[in-house]
Amino acid sequence: MSVLAVSNLTKRYHRGGKPFAAVDDVSFEIGPAETLALAGPSGSGKSTIARLVLRLIEPDAGRIDFEDADFLTMSGAALRARRARLQMVFQDPLAAFNPRATVARVLNDPLRVHGIAPRADRPRRIAALLERVGLDAGLAQRAIHEISGGQRQRVAIARAIATRPSLIVLDEAVSALDVSVRGQILELLLDLQRQERIAYLFISHDLGVIRAVAHRIFILDAGRIAESGDARAVIAYPQSSVGKALVAAMPKLVRDRP
Amino acid sequence: MTALLSIRDLSVAYRRDGVEVPALKGVSLDVLEGERLAIIGESGSGKSTLALALAGLLAMGTEIGGMIEWSASQSQTPRSFAPLSGLPAISPARGEIGSFADGSSPATLEISKSSDDGSISPLAGEMPGRAEGGVPERRPSAIGNTQAPLLGSDIGFVFQDPSSSLDPVMPIGKQIAEVAHTHLGPGWKGAYAKAKTLLERVRLPNPDATIHAYPHQLSGGQKQRVAIAAAIAAGPKLLIADEATSALDTIVQAEIVALIRRLVSEDGMTLIFISHDIALAASLADRIAVLRHGELIELGETSQIVNAPQQAYTRALLDAHLGLNAEPLLDRQDTSA
Ligand SMILES: Nc1ncnc2c1ncn2[C@@H]1O[C@H](COP(=O)(O)OP(=O)(O)O)[C@@H](O)[C@H]1O
Ligand SMILES: Nc1ncnc2c1ncn2[C@@H]1O[C@H](COP(=O)(O)OP(=O)(O)O)[C@@H](O)[C@H]1O
Ligand SMILES: [Mg+2]
Ligand SMILES: [Mg+2]
Repeated sequence: MSVLAVSNLTKRYHRGGKPFAAVDDVSFEIGPAETLALAGPSGSGKSTIARLVLRLIEPDAGRIDFEDADFLTMSGAALRARRARLQMVFQDPLAAFNPRATVARVLNDPLRVHGIAPRADRPRRIAALLERVGLDAGLAQRAIHEISGGQRQRVAIARAIATRPSLIVLDEAVSALDVSVRGQILELLLDLQRQERIAYLFISHDLGVIRAVAHRIFILDAGRIAESGDARAVIAYPQSSVGKALVAAMPKLVRDRP
Repeated sequence: MTALLSIRDLSVAYRRDGVEVPALKGVSLDVLEGERLAIIGESGSGKSTLALALAGLLAMGTEIGGMIEWSASQSQTPRSFAPLSGLPAISPARGEIGSFADGSSPATLEISKSSDDGSISPLAGEMPGRAEGGVPERRPSAIGNTQAPLLGSDIGFVFQDPSSSLDPVMPIGKQIAEVAHTHLGPGWKGAYAKAKTLLERVRLPNPDATIHAYPHQLSGGQKQRVAIAAAIAAGPKLLIADEATSALDTIVQAEIVALIRRLVSEDGMTLIFISHDIALAASLADRIAVLRHGELIELGETSQIVNAPQQAYTRALLDAHLGLNAEPLLDRQDTSA
């Protein structure tokens, strides 16, 4: 059984008047509580796959099954219900929210839209969500622009888990964070995965981050899958030229006594 | 090694909504001639503020104290200057400016009203000062004919976002030629020849065509190569790269770091490499300076910082690095569960 199964997905754009495939015949599956990493150089098609999976854009060809149902032909109430189970966290939480909105407002929206909790119950649910992602419930009344980048990313995660998703798409979700904060956010994601059995489509250009949290990896090159497999094995012994280049480009910190 | 720059007790405070925001607190540091010095720290630690202060690029109204002594090797006597800011007036409390210089030191330039005569260096057009990383409108300091190092001919500056230093409507060859023309004065023909040589040196494909291209026709990594070419066009002694590879993917980042390493060594430049990434800094630098909350908390040879850090904070930065030989968090979680 898989949470997400993507088959022969293709998305074409135009560049200089000529069509090209930003995503070219890509297939993969993600199981429950599994982290599948998508790696690749910039422009290799990672974000386009994220947008296709979230149905923010439509593919030119291919099929997406989410929780064993044909996601691309779904519409109306069925689509809305399914969308609640498929959430996202992007690199820049400020861009994702109205910066003047309060944290409570940001977390209230999914509870309301998806009918998760009656109005009277929502403040309690919001407090519980904040606590779940390691934030003080007192933060609820603060504006998004007043809190730190790490806190914002926790709010983004709280919003994503509010609707009890089975899959979260994370597109460079920790790339803009300071290293100390980054470690905490990654640990939070792992903890949520174990407790709530959430699967992650984890997009990053950083193999160090991927190796820390992912079970399997797919490496993209110009829209195509160049190689895939167990994350640590692929990173230790990359076979494709792009995989080798990504590994070679990682700055190495050689310490006598780690 | 002799010091190219001596920074003494440098303090910088921004003014935001009438409130003073301290960004650097009493930083003292010698930048040695010919070295590759990395400045690392988390966001907000003051890295960019230090870089902008050295280049005289801090915005109007910024409070600056302390001293920077610049000793370009072609002049026998070191040139000193109080960090310029083009601010309307320095507060009397900044009386310590210049006081660092002992009796034998050359006269120190004090910031005065005269540095606010509005004279903008010829480079103004190339540094549109577009807001980047939260830095508001910058203005090159009123450099005029003071003894401060000149942006372009003494200091080359590379920003994180190459678009912030490139003019979107000017062919890139012209942008590079202008720097050479302004500072070296070879005439336009010579300046264009120099631009073409520089495009070759930064390994841009097909320099004959690229010289006529506009920035939007290039990839992020190629734009950064152009920005580097422009930064070194007038043969500066010091190259400052502020998070110059942070917006690039790892493969392009490695290429740009290799390029910077090669150019710095070929031209005998001194490098200040600013990064939030301790591993990247260690891969390039001879020495590493660690900033935290505006203070310089540790400075040492790269191997000492990496293997025997004196500060717990430096060790925490090292431990937080997720390298390809680190224990995966996945395992730590599993065992702790
Ligand atoms: N809306 C669009 N229109 C045209 N080209 C696009 C669009 N979105 C992405 N592309 C192109 O598709 C390719 C893949 O982009 P993207 O998925 O963003 O890559 P990545 O996330 O791996 O950096 C790139 O060449 C990009 O320029
Ligand atoms: N133009 C500015 N106005 C007000 N505060 C600023 C400005 N630029 C930077 N700061 C503040 O100064 C401190 C240091 O910032 P900066 O030098 O940019 O750090 P870094 O480059 O290490 O991220 C931070 O607290 C930052 O918010
Ligand atoms: Mg992307
Ligand atoms: Mg900075």
